[in-house]
Amino acid sequence: MEPARKADSTGGRGGRLVPELTVRGTGPAAVTIAGLTAGGGALLVFVSEHCPTSALALRRLGPLCQDWAQAGLTAVAIFEDPLEVAIRTARRLGWSGQVAADDPPYPASRAYRVAAVPTAVLVGGDGVLAGTVTGWDQPGLAALLGEAGQLLGAGLAVPPATEPLRKPGCSAKAAIDPELAAAMSGPGGGDEPEEMFERGWTDGLPVIPPTAERVEAMLGGRDGAEPLGLVPPAMGEATLERVAACAVLAGCRPAYFPVVAAAARAVLDPAFNLHGQAVTTQPAGQLVVVNGPVREAIGLNSGMGALGPGFRANLTIGRAVRLLVSLTGGAMPGAMDRATLGQMGKLGFCVAEDEEGSPWEPLHVERGFEAGQSVVTVIGSDAPLSISDHRSRTPEDLAYVLAWAAASAWSTNWWPLAEPSVFVICPEHAQMFRAAGWSKQRLRQAMFDEVRRPARLLRRGETSLTVQAADPDELVPKWASPEAIVLLVAGGEAGRYSAVLGPCTGMGSQIVSREVT
Amino acid sequence: MAADYVSPFDERVRAAEPLAPRPASVRGQHAVLLDIRKNRGAEFLDRVETLLREAGVSTARVTKEIFSKPAALGLIGEIALGGGLVVEALAD
Repeated sequence: MEPARKADSTGGRGGRLVPELTVRGTGPAAVTIAGLTAGGGALLVFVSEHCPTSALALRRLGPLCQDWAQAGLTAVAIFEDPLEVAIRTARRLGWSGQVAADDPPYPASRAYRVAAVPTAVLVGGDGVLAGTVTGWDQPGLAALLGEAGQLLGAGLAVPPATEPLRKPGCSAKAAIDPELAAAMSGPGGGDEPEEMFERGWTDGLPVIPPTAERVEAMLGGRDGAEPLGLVPPAMGEATLERVAACAVLAGCRPAYFPVVAAAARAVLDPAFNLHGQAVTTQPAGQLVVVNGPVREAIGLNSGMGALGPGFRANLTIGRAVRLLVSLTGGAMPGAMDRATLGQMGKLGFCVAEDEEGSPWEPLHVERGFEAGQSVVTVIGSDAPLSISDHRSRTPEDLAYVLAWAAASAWSTNWWPLAEPSVFVICPEHAQMFRAAGWSKQRLRQAMFDEVRRPARLLRRGETSLTVQAADPDELVPKWASPEAIVLLVAGGEAGRYSAVLGPCTGMGSQIVSREVT
Repeated sequence: MAADYVSPFDERVRAAEPLAPRPASVRGQHAVLLDIRKNRGAEFLDRVETLLREAGVSTARVTKEIFSKPAALGLIGEIALGGGLVVEALAD
């Protein structure tokens, strides 16, 4: 490792020259000791994303960096993590200084003999080591910044003396056996799936690494720079290329991408209010319903197991949309996604309607599209509840069973629901309505008329303002209107199991459809 | 050698917004209380408003369109121009 300066440039202070840095910065210019100390001095803060003490240091020191910069002290956080992780972590923790990444086998950390992170290293304008503090040590850092102030001839802000004043650091990756460290750490480690986990480019399951080649293939000649909008809550920009990266990560084939792109446009429509859905404590996810010829063309399953596993197109299209929300949009569970429990549909939920087996016009036709158009419709939805009915012999009885199964949707006594409940009617149930000549609207109206109770019976536990304001014997319906009942047909030909997906409530979210182009 | 990946994240680094300076005392200040329309949030704000007035603070109330969406820019501007302090109520 070369020293930062030659031995005759120590300015006469006779200290030890610090090693030159070999790190990746956020800009095109190389990160050098000379560049960092050009203003008079530099504070190198070695950190790691996984280390809570590093997070504490970044959080406490981050707000001071701009003041230090004005006095001539440049602060740089050097992460033992990929640059993307470093940038994201720094932003999350409010670090306002520079950011750099020390890739495996961590030559910078090793050159500076960093055994634990965080380690703060003060370097004078002459490239001479002026002091080091390891771990979180507020008094030690205050003294180090006092030293920096003397070098610069200016008073420097110090972190507040609030608890904890001291906290031990974590083992630096550089201090681990280099081969082991390299194997553990992404780039150069040769274990791409693990690298994706380390970067945080995952929903918790293994993903397909979004190499430039795969993303280009996913785009299929489309302009990757095309902006689709900002993805809440972090307001990351959804370029078409970034959507394609999510589709690759999810495991989509390029043939699925038009559906993914249409779904992305749909969820980003302000009427859908993705912002509310992404951060809510509710369990709601984003249900993606696909209609039209594209279902057949890309192998979407609308038959046996239509809501379950086994079909790549269904699983990966829904997952791509969720990855867009949680990665580009920043709504990772436990971070900005504040769902109390969540539900497995938040991994992704894509349903294709069995238009050929349905007695009714399909969803996209109801919503104003031509039958021959391929359309994606997105709906904020809870997890499905299965509804068994093998005994009804009249459409009236079956409508009763289906509708009352949803009476507890959202909450037992929270009536009426303005947002949509989605019923997935299985083919055998649909056949009963077909045989009786029931239209979709007749079934919807029958279900709406069926589920209503006197307000007095709903006044227990969580109740709505409507229930509280109603006369005791006034009949309150479960839904605000028949239009809050969405009917789809899907599933295997044998078996009398339909399902209902409760709504995402109180968000003002509307159903949004987009043509697949 | 690291592979050339396309990040799903918007990696632009945004400058941190510094916090506005805090007043040494609330007395004599004008506070805007933002009701985000979460259930019972207004009750919470009623009590905060009472305490603020007892502490010599004049108050004004504003309301978001719905709790689940960011406040409109016009409303944010109204708050920024109208008050020295702001209190936002979460509730349920």
